Amino acid sequence: MSDKLLNLTRRSFLGTAMGGAAALAAGQSFAAGKTLNVLSHKVHQTVLGTGDGDLLKDWKSANDADVSWTTFDSNPLQDRLFREASLSSTDFNVGYMVDNRPTKQIAAMFEPLDAYLQKDGIEDFEDIAPGLVQGMTVDGKLIGIPVRHATQGLFYNEALLEEQGISAPPTTLEELAEQAQKLTFTSKAGTPVAGMVLASDLAVFPVMFARAFGGDFINAKFELLPNPEAMEKGLSVLRKMFETGALPRSYATTKNDDQVTWLQQGRAAFTVLPFARFAQLNNKEQSKFPGKIKAIEFPISADLKGKMPMSSIVEAWGMVIPANSKDKDLSWKFIKEVSSKSATLGMAKNGNGPVRVSTYADPAMSSNPVAAVEAAVLKNARGAFPPFPEAARAQSIFLEEVQLAVLGRKEVKEAVASIATRVKPLLQA
Amino acid sequence: MRTKKLAIGIGKAIAVVAILVWSLFPIGFIVMSSLKPGQDIFAVPPKFVFSPTLQHYVQLWNGWGVFFGGLLNSTIITAGATIIAITASTAAGYVYSRYSSRMLNASVMFLIIVRLIPPIVVTLPLFPIINAIGLNDTHIVLMVLYATFFVSLGTVLMRTFIDQIPRELDEAAQIDGAGRMTILRRVIVPLAAPGILAVAVFVVVFAWNEFLFAFIFTGTNAKTAPLVISEMIGSIDGVDWGVLFAASTVQLIPVLLFVIFMNRYLVAGLTAGATKG
Repeated sequence: MSDKLLNLTRRSFLGTAMGGAAALAAGQSFAAGKTLNVLSHKVHQTVLGTGDGDLLKDWKSANDADVSWTTFDSNPLQDRLFREASLSSTDFNVGYMVDNRPTKQIAAMFEPLDAYLQKDGIEDFEDIAPGLVQGMTVDGKLIGIPVRHATQGLFYNEALLEEQGISAPPTTLEELAEQAQKLTFTSKAGTPVAGMVLASDLAVFPVMFARAFGGDFINAKFELLPNPEAMEKGLSVLRKMFETGALPRSYATTKNDDQVTWLQQGRAAFTVLPFARFAQLNNKEQSKFPGKIKAIEFPISADLKGKMPMSSIVEAWGMVIPANSKDKDLSWKFIKEVSSKSATLGMAKNGNGPVRVSTYADPAMSSNPVAAVEAAVLKNARGAFPPFPEAARAQSIFLEEVQLAVLGRKEVKEAVASIATRVKPLLQA
Repeated sequence: MRTKKLAIGIGKAIAVVAILVWSLFPIGFIVMSSLKPGQDIFAVPPKFVFSPTLQHYVQLWNGWGVFFGGLLNSTIITAGATIIAITASTAAGYVYSRYSSRMLNASVMFLIIVRLIPPIVVTLPLFPIINAIGLNDTHIVLMVLYATFFVSLGTVLMRTFIDQIPRELDEAAQIDGAGRMTILRRVIVPLAAPGILAVAVFVVVFAWNEFLFAFIFTGTNAKTAPLVISEMIGSIDGVDWGVLFAASTVQLIPVLLFVIFMNRYLVAGLTAGATKG
């Protein structure tokens, strides 16, 4: 019996091994002669289309090149990109980098692109939002070309607002807090509704609340808490929301994906998410309120309304060339093509946040219900905080203090003072 | 007395039910969610009665072809790692069972130390080396790594199984003119087949589900299914939970069936040597 088992096992193992070897060999035989290896998130590949809709079709035939995509989720992607760039050489020709990562040390691992831009310029480069270009510039050197942005907006469930007799979304932060309170109820469908759902592990949200009062966490000049009173006011609003139940009791464990599902299920009336999530929130296969979830600019406080614009948060992706990569001219040609006006528009139609101002004006964008508001918000938007070596630790300290304040475990004033004391040394380092 | 027995019986039944619910609920939730319409997956209150749909599986097939490539890679790598681990463990187990020396005894400690090292400690320093020798993003690198981490446990298991095979059989074969390799191949291996299968179960389950090594050492050609699933939990464009649960179900079924079929060998592996007197 045992012998029989063994023989069977051995044969099947040998068969599998031979099959595996054949598969490996087949994989190699299909490899193209000239291949551009790109390291990105899957969404960056998807928006460029496939088959007849492949936006790179002409570029590939003109350059006799194929594009091989290696995709990871955001954080693993950045880890891999930096690890590849730290080697003596890498097979990856182009990488996608998010704009809160390029510190001086990281920027040094990538090719400065100014010379390429001068020698073989990108079509109407000035059309690309200057704020996004700035995010990819370190010590005066351009290291990445912006390709995608995600700008935060305020989403609301119009059906729930109507159910509570609210005819229009808020125009000030105070109105938002008031409406969120009113929208904390049990809906006609019997679903308990929270006025507002926010993830507690992202700095984006408390920073947005602080900015609504003219404050910030760390601004572009690396000033820590440039207006501490504004941060206190922002956190006080969040704390009050939690105390009154407008922020759910599960706030401390709420994640970004919960925001989407809560809004889709009618469990929350408001949330803050990138405008790009509009389609997903209204997807009739996933959402119980397709067509009823709308988006507006996150409102500024009543005191500042009309005096200064609200500066929402934007996260942008740029294409970079690792300094240790091969065939950098081909990499630049790829970047040039993806940055062209037609490719930017094509990607926008496929759900990409366009980095060119002109793209929003294109008639093809009129079918996107949030394009106009997104374009307006983008004008004044900037990153949550600038990149610096200790940014991750600074963010985690910031979030720890914010949570203590919102959950009522620490006085708001005390938490803000703690942020200043604890983050300052990291910023100096 | 009777009441006490009844109470103990009820207590045991409750404990068994609790353990079953604890273990099976996540699996049941994933499989059920993969068959639910998207709107119903996170419905409040939860919907246990629903019209099943295969739409998520269709979307998985149409939109995530790379997942099925990942499954093929996982299969190749798992098979390769299992062959390497079994071959090395059986040979080493035979040596530890039949031979004795100071060096051999000391090397047992080395086997234990290997098991104690957290994989991440060796993973990152290996990255530039693997890259330099051109093995990055190949199946072979994962096969070798997975096998390496299981050879120590496999060796100990195989030694225990081979210890139970009477040495007289080796001696009889020797008298008939068999060399060491022949004894190992013709006498030991067939009789230790249950042990080999027990080791195979451990390696297969580990290799099929492993994420860290696959994440560090693969990119496109050797990308495994767990890596593709991790991409589905995308933070940029949102999660399509139905498709994610469909992929998780597809990923789960082969290893679940394998473990169910090999269950008795797994138990044999876990209890090997327990009654050795």
